[in-house]
Amino acid sequence: MNIFEKSQAIKNQELKAKDNLDNFLRTIDNTNDSINAFLEINKEDAINKAETLDKKIQNKEKVGSLAGLVFSIKANINVEDFIISAASKTLENYKGSYNATVIDKILKEDGIILGITNMDEFAAGSSSETSYYGITDNPAAPGRIPGGSSGGSAATIAGDMCDISLGSDTGGSIRNPASHCGIMGFKPTYGAVSRQGLIDLSMSLDQIGPMAKDVTGLSMALDTIVAHDPSECSSIDYKKPNFTQTALNAKNSESPFEGMTIAVCDEFRSITDDKINKIVDKKINELSSLGAEVIDFCFHYIDLCLPTYYLINYVEFFSATRKFDGRKFGHRIEDVCGDEVFRRIEMGSYISQKEFSGKYYKHALKARSLIKDEINAMLKGLDFIMSSTVPKLPHKIGEKLDPMEMYAYDVLTVIANLSGIPAASMKAGEVDGIPVGLQIQANSLEDEKIIHALSALEEI
Amino acid sequence: MKCGLEIHVQLETNSKLFCECKTNYQEAPANTNICPVCLNQPGAKPYPTNEKAIENALMISLMLNCKIDKNLTYFMRKHYDYPDLPSGFQRTSVPIGYEGELNGVGITEIHMEEDPGQFKPDRGIVDFNRSGIPLIEIVTEPEMYSPEEARSFLKELIRVLQYSGGARGEGTMRADVNISIEGGNRVEMKNINSIKGAYKALKFEIVRQKNLMKRGVEVKQETRAFLESQMITVGMRLKEDADDYRFIPDPDLPPMKVSDEDIAEVEETMPEAPHNKVKRFIESYNIDEESAKVLTSELDLAVAYEEIVKEIDPKFAAMWMKDELQRVLTYNKLSFEDSGIVVDDLIELFSLLQNKEITTKAGQRIIENMPNNKQTPKAIAEELGLIGIVKDDEIIEAVKKTIKENPKAIEDYNNGQKASLNFLVGQVMKLTRGKADPGETVKLIKDNIN
Repeated sequence: MNIFEKSQAIKNQELKAKDNLDNFLRTIDNTNDSINAFLEINKEDAINKAETLDKKIQNKEKVGSLAGLVFSIKANINVEDFIISAASKTLENYKGSYNATVIDKILKEDGIILGITNMDEFAAGSSSETSYYGITDNPAAPGRIPGGSSGGSAATIAGDMCDISLGSDTGGSIRNPASHCGIMGFKPTYGAVSRQGLIDLSMSLDQIGPMAKDVTGLSMALDTIVAHDPSECSSIDYKKPNFTQTALNAKNSESPFEGMTIAVCDEFRSITDDKINKIVDKKINELSSLGAEVIDFCFHYIDLCLPTYYLINYVEFFSATRKFDGRKFGHRIEDVCGDEVFRRIEMGSYISQKEFSGKYYKHALKARSLIKDEINAMLKGLDFIMSSTVPKLPHKIGEKLDPMEMYAYDVLTVIANLSGIPAASMKAGEVDGIPVGLQIQANSLEDEKIIHALSALEEI
Repeated sequence: MKCGLEIHVQLETNSKLFCECKTNYQEAPANTNICPVCLNQPGAKPYPTNEKAIENALMISLMLNCKIDKNLTYFMRKHYDYPDLPSGFQRTSVPIGYEGELNGVGITEIHMEEDPGQFKPDRGIVDFNRSGIPLIEIVTEPEMYSPEEARSFLKELIRVLQYSGGARGEGTMRADVNISIEGGNRVEMKNINSIKGAYKALKFEIVRQKNLMKRGVEVKQETRAFLESQMITVGMRLKEDADDYRFIPDPDLPPMKVSDEDIAEVEETMPEAPHNKVKRFIESYNIDEESAKVLTSELDLAVAYEEIVKEIDPKFAAMWMKDELQRVLTYNKLSFEDSGIVVDDLIELFSLLQNKEITTKAGQRIIENMPNNKQTPKAIAEELGLIGIVKDDEIIEAVKKTIKENPKAIEDYNNGQKASLNFLVGQVMKLTRGKADPGETVKLIKDNIN
């Protein structure tokens, strides 16, 4: 039963919202201590909400599209009355003082917000090892990192602790843990989902998106959270598609990839683990047999991607963290944060100095437009760019990586953030029992097309 | 000496620059006009820039004869650490207008900013009601050469801002005043909150720097604070300690573009700046600069003048409004707007004068009675019996009577006491109830004595 079918079952009284929730609560009781996916849950409110919904449904009252579905939320998205710490000691005492736009939308559609998930501190990481609240384990590959920074969110999905999770993706933070945990993760077009209420990592790159076990979970969440938000300046106003309908239609389509063109890049393959390439190639070849045309493309700027991404990330993060000066929230960030957050603040402070202003940040912005132009040119007349999501397998918890090795996880995912295009990851297969993700990128605002592809692929 | 100014004034808007909170921060109890956005709670993003604020900034730029930047304009983040700044940075736009002019002083640029909150150490609180209120900063060239020039520039600037209706007045002004005296370095004075303060700070600084120079001490490049209570400046920091604000374009706010249509729209509705009005009055109505300045000192007065000159000779109207109307307003401590004197009344009065239905003297008495008087000038004149100029033979009769009744004064006059003539004229006026023409009377007295 996929998530859409589950929601129908709840509305048809074949499944009680309360039972759906109880299942998750049991799993959480049994496994969350060892996995450390949830930082906080509000059992009582969730149970009340589920029971209220069941009553409403029984009384034939109207309920929202997400009625009874259970959500987990990354700890950098404001939810009233939960501790929204961004997994940092800096904000250990900060209670969400308002609801992020996406939270209000989910509540309006009767989604049940069960709790808050672990993550890399301030989303500055790719392994979920840097949280002030400890490391999250990978339910799909125990003993290995779940990826990051939305590792807690991915683990609540992979570990059967909820239906849908909201994460944030700045350079791959949804797709990377989705890949490592063998689930689906979706980073929408920049601006398609309001960032109002998302604690900043890098404002021009950050985007909220859903994670779930199947495409209907993603699409139901997107139907709710993709919307123009007049209170947020980067929010775009476009005619939003019906994602769930698209996902359902794709499943009934006889030749869902007929006439579609998919680009693959040698530059992406050459930096990726061979075992991973093998799995991903196999998946893409299957598409070929379903009518898609697969063509080779050159992407010239692969070496520019990480330096560009990190320069922008450092500077914007430095700026975003100036409010954590110790006065309002109790701790000055530099006094209590972990190494990676400190490194980014220091680097951001250094390269944004007046004497360097033309040298680093402005160059990074220029490089960013080069990358964006190249990607847009490449996607012109094409439907998708496909590759692996992450170039290597998740390392074992405890293994020490230097910063550059850690950053290398992001090389294939940062491109979508730098160019603002939508991208998703779904499980392509396994290498030695460890999940491997297929990344699908499409033109800006063609989020719907990705949902179509994910849904069709899910059926293979 | 040379002086340049950086003047901050709040823009007149109902809501803050990046959120919908109200701007009446002075009336509201501390920390009641706040929201996650202006409080900069974690995750809160600015709403789209307040359009009224942009419009006002554009209007003020145009009124100060600035060129408008038609490229992309955007907000920068200026980072610094202070208790009143809840985000750790202040949003400040790139110039909206540049290369303007007022009172012969160049305007370097005009840009928008958001006001920080108010740190009140004495009460142990930070009040964020003010946080996010839109400001403009007006930066001038160092083209004022005395404290007096700086003062008159600021007065004129505040007048332009009042005219515009787009900015709050002197009460919200905060100025940084830069001064350099030949042989010394540039000194910047901060925390100046009034025109008087700017004047006093400059006065003090000139004395201080000249004394240093006399003793052979170098005037260092530094930032000084002005202490309003004592009217002195004290050192804050030397140039070497200057802050690096690490400016970056704000990633949360998309760039804006001012179009020709936007400019045309603002130009169509904006009031003409007073200094531009002065120029136009001089050229169109052929009046002197002093009259033009007086007439434009108040927007309502200038508007009234332009109505009046549709029916009355502009020079005549200007003379009467500059001298007599202004005298009466000053005496009664009234602005024209509050005087209750309306255009039609002035037209009626000036017509009576021009048609020689009343004398100048009568006109003066009538206008003195006009503030907050519902009667028309004609009615006032009739009530005071001032209508009509006395015919020549009536005056001659009065003159003869005066000479006859005042032999002593005639004798004095003949003995060279010229002042006696004034007494005699006064007597004639009394007899004619002010309706005689004074010049004519003098002539007649002289003729009749001889």
